[in-house]
Amino acid sequence: MAIGVCRLDLTELAVLRGHAADLPAVARSGGVALPPTGRVAVSASALVLSVRPERWLLLTSPAAAGAGAAAWSERCAGLAAVIDHSSGLAALHLAGPSAREALARGCRLDLAMDAFPPGHAAATSMAQVATILAALPSGLLILTPASTARHLHEWLMGAARPFGLAPLAEITVSTFFGHNDP
Amino acid sequence: MPGPARIGRGLLTDGDRPVGFRFDGRELTALAGDTLASALLANGRRLVGRSFKYHRPRGVVTAGPGEPCALVDVIGSAGREPNQLATTLVLREGLVAESQNRWPSLSVDALAINDLLSRFLPAGFYYKTFMSPGWAWERLYEPLIRRAAGLGRLVAPAVEHPAPAETVHDHADVLVVGAGVAGLAAAHRLGACGLKVLLADQDVTLGAGALLEARAIAWREQMAAALARLPTVRWLPSTTVLGAYGHGVFGALETLSPEAEARFGGLRERLRVIRAKRVILATGAPERLIAFPGNDVPGVMLAGAALGYLRRYGVAVGTRPALFVNNDEAYEALFALHGAGVRPAGVIDPRPQSLAMERARSLGVEVHAGAVVASVAGRRAVRGVSVANVGGGHRATLRADCLLMSGGHTPSTALAAQLGAPLKWQEAIAAFTADLAPAVGSVAGAARGVFGLAAAARDGDAAARAIATDLGRAVNSAIAIDLPADPAATPLAELWEVSAPGKAFVDLQNDVTTADVRLAYREGYEHLDHMKRYTTHGMATDQGRTGGLTGAAVLAKARGVPVSRVGALKPRPFAQPVPFAALAGGEVGEHFKPKRRLPLHDWHEAAGATFVRAGLWLRPLVYSGSSGWEPVLAEARAVRSAVGITDVSTLGKIDVQGPDAAKFLDFVYANTFSTLAVGRARYGLMLREDGLVFDDGTTARLAPEHFLVTTTTVNSVAVLEHLEFHLQTVCRELDVLVTDVGDHWAQFAVAGPRSREVLERVVTGVPLSNEAFPFMAAGAATIAGVAGRLFRISFSGELAYEVAVPARHALEVWSALIAAGKPLGIRPYGLDALNTLRIEKGHVTGAELNGNTTADDLGMGRMLKASGDHIGRSLARRAGLLAPDRLQLVGVRPVDATRRLRNGTQLVAASARSTSLGYVTSSTPSAELPGWVGLALVAGGRARIGERLLGVSPVHAETTDIEVVSPHHADAGNTRVRA
Amino acid sequence: MLRIPCPHCGERDETEFRYRGDAGKARPAGDADIAAFATYVYERDNPLGWHVEWWMHVAGCRKLLKLVRHTLSHEIHAVLAPDAEPPFPPREQGR
Repeated sequence: MAIGVCRLDLTELAVLRGHAADLPAVARSGGVALPPTGRVAVSASALVLSVRPERWLLLTSPAAAGAGAAAWSERCAGLAAVIDHSSGLAALHLAGPSAREALARGCRLDLAMDAFPPGHAAATSMAQVATILAALPSGLLILTPASTARHLHEWLMGAARPFGLAPLAEITVSTFFGHNDP
Repeated sequence: MPGPARIGRGLLTDGDRPVGFRFDGRELTALAGDTLASALLANGRRLVGRSFKYHRPRGVVTAGPGEPCALVDVIGSAGREPNQLATTLVLREGLVAESQNRWPSLSVDALAINDLLSRFLPAGFYYKTFMSPGWAWERLYEPLIRRAAGLGRLVAPAVEHPAPAETVHDHADVLVVGAGVAGLAAAHRLGACGLKVLLADQDVTLGAGALLEARAIAWREQMAAALARLPTVRWLPSTTVLGAYGHGVFGALETLSPEAEARFGGLRERLRVIRAKRVILATGAPERLIAFPGNDVPGVMLAGAALGYLRRYGVAVGTRPALFVNNDEAYEALFALHGAGVRPAGVIDPRPQSLAMERARSLGVEVHAGAVVASVAGRRAVRGVSVANVGGGHRATLRADCLLMSGGHTPSTALAAQLGAPLKWQEAIAAFTADLAPAVGSVAGAARGVFGLAAAARDGDAAARAIATDLGRAVNSAIAIDLPADPAATPLAELWEVSAPGKAFVDLQNDVTTADVRLAYREGYEHLDHMKRYTTHGMATDQGRTGGLTGAAVLAKARGVPVSRVGALKPRPFAQPVPFAALAGGEVGEHFKPKRRLPLHDWHEAAGATFVRAGLWLRPLVYSGSSGWEPVLAEARAVRSAVGITDVSTLGKIDVQGPDAAKFLDFVYANTFSTLAVGRARYGLMLREDGLVFDDGTTARLAPEHFLVTTTTVNSVAVLEHLEFHLQTVCRELDVLVTDVGDHWAQFAVAGPRSREVLERVVTGVPLSNEAFPFMAAGAATIAGVAGRLFRISFSGELAYEVAVPARHALEVWSALIAAGKPLGIRPYGLDALNTLRIEKGHVTGAELNGNTTADDLGMGRMLKASGDHIGRSLARRAGLLAPDRLQLVGVRPVDATRRLRNGTQLVAASARSTSLGYVTSSTPSAELPGWVGLALVAGGRARIGERLLGVSPVHAETTDIEVVSPHHADAGNTRVRA
Repeated sequence: MLRIPCPHCGERDETEFRYRGDAGKARPAGDADIAAFATYVYERDNPLGWHVEWWMHVAGCRKLLKLVRHTLSHEIHAVLAPDAEPPFPPREQGR
């Protein structure tokens, strides 16, 4: 089992009242598709996941501070609030056949492959901290507030140890991007 | 064969692997697979402990988790662990165990005198005897009772176990509790239908108990192999389901095998929280005792236990066993022992005749039909039994070295009862059973009163079929229950107690006798649960598994009603004792609570900071390892005289956007925000709906429809939730989005008369002159090349700025600010200095925003807007919240500047020392003034400014003359922040 | 432990939610008198039976849910949006 630390930018889009129908087209113009709540979608330049109704998190390659959010603010003016979480959430990637079993040592969700297959996303709490989980073909992506990232990382290392643990790696988010055009 | 009583091969023991252990100092040998109880019995040890109240000698009674007597201390490397069940404790090489509740030794116990004094120790004895004098309870009675009573002793462990337990979360379609025949058949059927099954059983082996009967061994092995092939069936061995919590949630405790323990780094127990769509309770029906005089002598045990010891471990519990039973099922023990070459002393059965009795006779066993055991000879071991006719009158004396009893079998209804299932009396088995609603699951096998292996297996299969169909699965009917037909059996005859002189126990663990139950009834405790509390019947760790119903039956007889009218003891979780360590799981010590770390945690650490926990946060308290106020004051003086920098990233930050954002803030704040100009910040006060102050903070308007709300560190979570709650209820019509951005922004306060000079060296894009960027200005800025935000706000009371940048750029910006400030004497300051500065300035924090103060109490009454609704508006106007004698915020200083202040010091008038007028909320030595300064809440405080009071701290034996002053100790004119 | 079927996230453990009290109380109009607000803030029934209450899914979607829950059996009869009117409480099950 391998735990990787992921470098990425995070931008949240939150729909303003009455504009839910307008946002998908705007998103498409930005090169991403917006999945329904509880799902993660893969675009050529981003992972997009939603764990709250009418809110989406865009995971993109790191850029200059605030640049991603600023571009989306422009696109979404009047339609959605755009919030930069690039420094607010940390991302970890768990790969390996035992990852889901190891997470059951602290996660209350059913992470069995049939219950939480790739493409699914969920917000929950794990090891007493808020987490967002997204199932990707490569493994599980875990987002957690930056201030508790070290705590969660330490806990994950402990939970994963009996299942064998590969050395820590740094992963760029673009390795998860696909080419299925939105 | 290690141990003289080992007469054959056990199904669980390995004859080739001897295991050495120590009991009460003596070295003994047994076999791998033994429990401590089977190991002791194999070695001929009958006496294993002393009883709770009377200190009577006790032996092993059961072969499982319901054991009332064989509790021991286990001494390991981590210390002594009391109350371990010898009957479930799997033997390991080198195990050291000691018997409990005896002094000086097991065979000679000084407190056995209690037994002779027992006529003076009836039920309710404590309540009646230790009434007076009142002082004696604490000093005399309780210490004496504590010494005499109780079972094991709790001794603090010598070393902390690093990871004793964990909590694991499970999900299944069906949880099957119990892996006897019914459970096995059910799990097999469900698994064959493709359902996800968890099969939990407290035993280390599948198909325990009844399946160990010779005629079912082949079927058991076949089932075990079939289950192993089913991918969706998971067997959880050594896992006891502790409780049913509704909504398909169950708690279970798993004891790890030595192999798993090693793999999981010494983990011993695992608390499983299981969520299942349906449950099948195949929990079986434990055997119950009969209350007859001497039913606690070592060597008296349940018949099924004797069968278990023979089958599982190859141990004969005696060389000349007598049998005292009222049902045919229990004869299996006799037949098995006979088959293994043990010569029984005889059978005592109250029934006139039965099929099993006939079979015993045909084997040449002496059978006393229509008879009961009137007494047992022997004290530390059974020597013989005295047999009487059912109607009375001595019949015979048998020489025997053990007595195997059975009063029938009581279905385990605990989990079903916890799920709200009503109990139904079953005449045929003289016990209660329970059924579950189909939406919850079902009860199967002996737990439902269906006895006999083949019958129970068919019952388990039927329950599984119904559930599989209910869950939308096609049921494959090709599975057949291939078990030999159950032998015909004669029904049991109800027999709860034998009326004869001598102590007859219904609760062996708490030493409750039939006489105690009757006494409780005579004294008015007619309800079963009242009798239970008065006598402690069923309140021990075994929860009355062996004698619970027997006690109820004795009460029923005393009341003259059938047992069905009395009911059964209400079973509550947990089903067995659970170590606290297992409940705590991994959330202990360092991991008790998560730690929130600042983006610059490592920098602070390297700079020598002492950290303090503030909520979940770790914050730098002072950049020094030494205690005392000097380092704190040096940091604070740097701010007052030059410039300081502090990390305030812990403040809650909430992004508020939308067309109605201003309107929303007007509603949630007691003061107005719609009038705030873009590029400006304002101090805001939030009230609760009851009119008291909830939280405060500075809110900035970044754009016409975009605000940034800051909260206090400790209330950040509560404020966010408060805003979200109101947006989804009272303010539903407003188009506003609130988002937590607390962790995204690192925020630093740069404070002091030279702070502008520091900022001018690193900020670009914003002119910083007082005119261009005045007090309470706010806006976007580039700080050390990073796009961020700049606020001119001050908590310290000095000219000050707060810069905010995305946290991943925290270090470069912080370092640039330190470098720019170096020639100006910049110092980082911690929470203590921050506190010193704000107390001097008269700013409030949690000590004053304590949930009891109003805006007016804090001197901010005028901030409340005159018109327009807001949370707390109405109730803030209650007369009681406007009374002039409420506790109001003031400043305090000792009259003698050499004296100190203390938080919590009570303030009284010299003329009326017994009436508290208030108390000191915050205090600090001052960086600016001589001596200490503080804040206090004082009755009618503002009118008392200039008065003198006495500060009284009885715990420190201190009385100090105090002067009441304005809370603004420093810069009362508020000129510095505007400089 | 309750398992609450969140309409946005699916069935989740009670521990993911924060109980926010009686949902049967509506905030009085801003100009209502102190007595009306006192009733809103302080007066609560303690029913044995069906209860309409707020639960916020703080660890999940952060949406506020209106639950119709039985205080004795813990049965959840309905999970509704905040502005939905609760269905007439089902008949008391025999207990």
